[in-house]
Amino acid sequence: MRRRAFLEQVGAGLGGVALAQLMAGETHHAAKAKRVIQIFLSGAASQCDTFDYKPKLIEKAGQTWDPGEKVQLFQSNPGVVMPSPWKWKRYGQSGKWVSELFREVGECADEIAFVHSMQSKSNVHGPATFMQNTGFILPGFPSAGAWVSYALGSLNENLPTFVVMPDPRGMPPNGPANWGGGFLPAAHQGTQVRVGQAQPIVDLERPRGGYVTEASDGEGLALLKQMNRRHLEERPGDTRLEARIASYEMAARLQLSAPEVLGIGQESEATRKLYGIDQPETEELGRRLLTGRRMLERGVRFVQIWSGADNGFPRRNWDSHENLMKDHGMLARELDRPLAGLIQDLKGRGMLEDTIVYWTTEFGRMPCSQGSLGRDHNPFGFTSWFAGGGFRGGVSYGATDEWSYKAVEQPVYCYDVHATLLDLLGIDHTRLSYRNNGIDRRLTDVHGQVIRELIR
Amino acid sequence: MRGLLIFLPALGLAQDASYEKLVEPVLEARCVVCHPSGSGAGDVSLGRYEEVMEAGIVTPGKPEQSLLLRLVEGAAARMPKSGAKLKAEEVAGIRKWIEAGAKREGKGESGERVWWSLRPLRPGAQRTIDGYLEQRLREKGLRYRAEAPRRVLIRRLSFDLHGLPPEPEEIAAFDKDGAPGAYERLVDRMLASPRYGERWARHWLDVVHYGDSHGYDKDKPRVNAWPYRDAVIRALNEDLPYRDFVRQQLAGDVLYPNDARAFEMTGFLAAGPWDFVGHQELKEATADKKLTRSLDRDDMVANAMGTFVSLTVHCARCHDHKFDPIPQEDYYRVQAVFAGLDRVDRPYDEDAGVFARRRELLEQKRRVQLRIRADEDEVEFASSPELTELDNRIQDASLLLAHLGTPKNAAEEAEKKRLEDRRVADRAARQKLIEGMTPRERFERIAAGRAELKRLDEELGRLPKPKLVYSGASYFTRMGNLRPALEPREVAVLGRGNVGAPGKVVSAGAPRLVGGLAHEFGSPEEGARRAGLAEWIVSDGNVLAWRSIVNRVWHYHFGQGIVDSPSDFGRMGGMPTHPKLLDWLAVWFRDEAKGSLKQLHRLMVTSRAYRQGSETEAAAEKVDAENRLLWRMNRAKLDAESVHDAALWLSGKLDLRMGGPGVRRFWFKDDHSPVYDYARFSPDAEQARRRAIYRFIVRSVPDPFYERLDCPDPSIQTPKRLTTLTTIQALAMWNNPFMVRMAEWFAERVGGDVGAAVRLAYGREMRGEERAPLEEYARKHGMANLCRLILNSNEFLFLD
Repeated sequence: MRRRAFLEQVGAGLGGVALAQLMAGETHHAAKAKRVIQIFLSGAASQCDTFDYKPKLIEKAGQTWDPGEKVQLFQSNPGVVMPSPWKWKRYGQSGKWVSELFREVGECADEIAFVHSMQSKSNVHGPATFMQNTGFILPGFPSAGAWVSYALGSLNENLPTFVVMPDPRGMPPNGPANWGGGFLPAAHQGTQVRVGQAQPIVDLERPRGGYVTEASDGEGLALLKQMNRRHLEERPGDTRLEARIASYEMAARLQLSAPEVLGIGQESEATRKLYGIDQPETEELGRRLLTGRRMLERGVRFVQIWSGADNGFPRRNWDSHENLMKDHGMLARELDRPLAGLIQDLKGRGMLEDTIVYWTTEFGRMPCSQGSLGRDHNPFGFTSWFAGGGFRGGVSYGATDEWSYKAVEQPVYCYDVHATLLDLLGIDHTRLSYRNNGIDRRLTDVHGQVIRELIR
Repeated sequence: MRGLLIFLPALGLAQDASYEKLVEPVLEARCVVCHPSGSGAGDVSLGRYEEVMEAGIVTPGKPEQSLLLRLVEGAAARMPKSGAKLKAEEVAGIRKWIEAGAKREGKGESGERVWWSLRPLRPGAQRTIDGYLEQRLREKGLRYRAEAPRRVLIRRLSFDLHGLPPEPEEIAAFDKDGAPGAYERLVDRMLASPRYGERWARHWLDVVHYGDSHGYDKDKPRVNAWPYRDAVIRALNEDLPYRDFVRQQLAGDVLYPNDARAFEMTGFLAAGPWDFVGHQELKEATADKKLTRSLDRDDMVANAMGTFVSLTVHCARCHDHKFDPIPQEDYYRVQAVFAGLDRVDRPYDEDAGVFARRRELLEQKRRVQLRIRADEDEVEFASSPELTELDNRIQDASLLLAHLGTPKNAAEEAEKKRLEDRRVADRAARQKLIEGMTPRERFERIAAGRAELKRLDEELGRLPKPKLVYSGASYFTRMGNLRPALEPREVAVLGRGNVGAPGKVVSAGAPRLVGGLAHEFGSPEEGARRAGLAEWIVSDGNVLAWRSIVNRVWHYHFGQGIVDSPSDFGRMGGMPTHPKLLDWLAVWFRDEAKGSLKQLHRLMVTSRAYRQGSETEAAAEKVDAENRLLWRMNRAKLDAESVHDAALWLSGKLDLRMGGPGVRRFWFKDDHSPVYDYARFSPDAEQARRRAIYRFIVRSVPDPFYERLDCPDPSIQTPKRLTTLTTIQALAMWNNPFMVRMAEWFAERVGGDVGAAVRLAYGREMRGEERAPLEEYARKHGMANLCRLILNSNEFLFLD
């Protein structure tokens, strides 16, 4: 990657210009997947109310919870055993147990590989959210999307390589630092796209209402190019000067291509319905997920979509300390239909073959109650899942104990997940590195095992 | 990118049995840390072959009689004392070498096998910058480019020293000054300007990862961070000798008692990010709390060591450093230096008398608090099934009340009242239970202590209102679960960095890899430890520290350091292109300039190397494409702050007031999780006209304009910024409301005078062939649009 890094310093566009572009798509081995769409459930979505079915919680409902050791919780003392307030049902040929909170996703269970033995190194939202994004519980590291952008470059130089769509209600813990490029060149950080807003990408549009007009813009860019060309002629051999000229041309192309990709009005009624855009509760996430699919279709490598905003009241994320039924209920209703729609849509278009759909949250929730109606943090066991892009469908990997408390079978940290994602994208995670302040940094730090059992 | 210049010991591969191949690399990697040449532990030095042989631990030809082998062999090996045992093949190598007669290849006296950055400073003979550089160029058949024209020089120098374009009057004066020494006089004028400190403080703040908010979740504004930023600016402008610059940042409160300026400089200790939730919300004694504190100290260690001695000591958190002679224990010894600190606002006073009194009273409070801490903890952490039950009910009520928010109807109103009443009753019951469980004397001791604290608080309250700086302190008033350490916390070596696996408890000290320096300062006094570390850094013999600072300054002037990894002088870092030059600069700066940074700047920017042209040449490109030998000056791109400040300067509206709280270029809402919104900020706002150094830097939500212009993430130490040229950067330059407005004001300032716009932005006269197209465009679309083009042009953005 050294030559590539050099070229990117001297000139790179959204996906790199000129020579850097030639190397985009170079991989360590044959790739099964070309792109990723990640749904990040911010605030810590419960595993034992969604995909990690434990009859013991129903059996022992309301009894004192005794997992056989002292339990150290984030805020509270352990309450009683609390079964999920939602009913469970088996779905698909795989017979996967899914709670009715995600009944629509449940219908897609045969496409999904579940990992029930996820663990986090922190029980605090900030560090744990960093960990799932960057592999470190400290700030300042590049997120997985940035690494993928750095490794693979863009499939479409007119669009960003790594796009992020935060929850319109607010930023998740750590804010945009979650999708930052860390020490990688700035081109690889996530580009925020705010669907449905006047300026979906910051500074994309020509300023309105002032002295700038369409003609002044167009003729201005032509004259600017002329000025820069003459400047360059007197300073031959400086590739940065050329790269900067090219960056204005690419900016103009992005201005043209962005409205097209964001124009979900061009989608059929049936597709919009599939994503729940016809229903008030699901409309907003439906729009973001559908926009995500349009971006993937047009060459964006990594799309990250957030469900859940900051920690505050009224609750607008999955951090259901107080009232699980109300808050998980609301957020799941927003997400279930659009997310199932995404999987069905990708499959219908033949895109699921080489597109990874990836469900993440920063940690899980406790099988006991907090107060009377909530659940506290659980870093010891939670669920992530994957569909498409070379992942097997209808399988479950790893397991928590009988309570859905601790990962006991095949425990997994994000390192293994990241290693597996990179592997499917054709990248050996041990060879994707960038030297910063004396350390060859990797997404997987010094860890990571590809989980072969999950791969087709 | 740099090559991998690592000398990996080729163990087990060597066919012969020489000292150099089999033994020296092992000793160097694992033993000389504690047994350096001339001053090894237990009077055993292993730095040189002769020393190894004189130590009496090797009997040539007789491995079984050689103590060295017995010490390192087998599972119960006694050496090395820290870290892993030697590998089997390493031990086998030593055995083979002894069997073969314990010889070495080299003739004559052996050299010390020490990494370049740890060797003594050896300046060589040239003793001018150009002397060293030109010698290397001559060897390669290269030479300097001709001196750059004056208008190029002044623009280069102005952005380099001030981060701003040169004033037209300054350009004219420089042009007219035909007397010898005109350039030197220009340099002196520029170094005397306060704009210098503002410019170079930004470099320093990059290195120390300064920010105005904490980072992580619930990223709170750090409203008293700025006095540190201002103190750095002032220190640079006043040319504070580098020794004092270092001492004040690490221990200004200890070494310069009652000096407000030195106290502000301790903001360094707390410059990096901080996990509010982990520190203030997590309960004491939980694993996550321990982890939070350990990582907080880790940030302090990385900042102090990376900044001042260019070492990546923090790589030894989980295991011995893989590349440099830093055992894990050494890392934790540096952690112990900071073990008494938490990041908080600290009060201080301009009046030395008041300040002294305040410190005295705070010290008394600390002692009282220390006296009653055990009793208070007994009460706070008392537990029984009944208490747990009540705690759960109280928390349940609190959760439900928070979730309920403001009642929207009568039913919710009633629910709120019910929960509140229940909580009041439960709290009363809890208090009663505690009283029942606690001996009366304990309450009495606590009450007596608290009465004393109250009296001291009253006295503190009678002092004038103090100023505050965000720094590190071992005593402060508790905030939630953020409790003062009162005295240094115990630091133990953590197996694999795991807080659940504490090992040997360590005392405070410096890494032992620099020979000949006192590296133990395990005082029980918190401040003495920091003072000890500061003195270790600034001692004459700390070769790392002196090399580090001169290389940093070189890096910013020339665009590339003599060592291109300014915060890593270890084996994973770069090698110096001109080691003797680096050493001479270090010695000169330490001894001749007495640590005057201004003299160092002057030395560098008056060199012919700095003053040469930046144009390339095909033949020289073939020999040294990266220009590591400086056969031309490097063409620099303006950084984000310079773009911002220069645009404001061109607009004629730059506000040069110095100092004060950070300028908020965003809309802010304080909340459970604060909101920072850059889209809701107008460039017309009065405060938008201050220099970029004064902007309020949010860690979690970076300003998109600055971020796109390669402003680094303030949560990581950035000794050198990347320069990228991206599409989104072009969009920021072209469409960002700030840039669009600056172009408009720039146009107002120059009226219709296209020539004036060119002169101001580029520092040169308009050329004949430029006139027609520029004027025609201005006529057609207005001057503001033309000024927008100029602000987006490469000539504005690059410095020849």
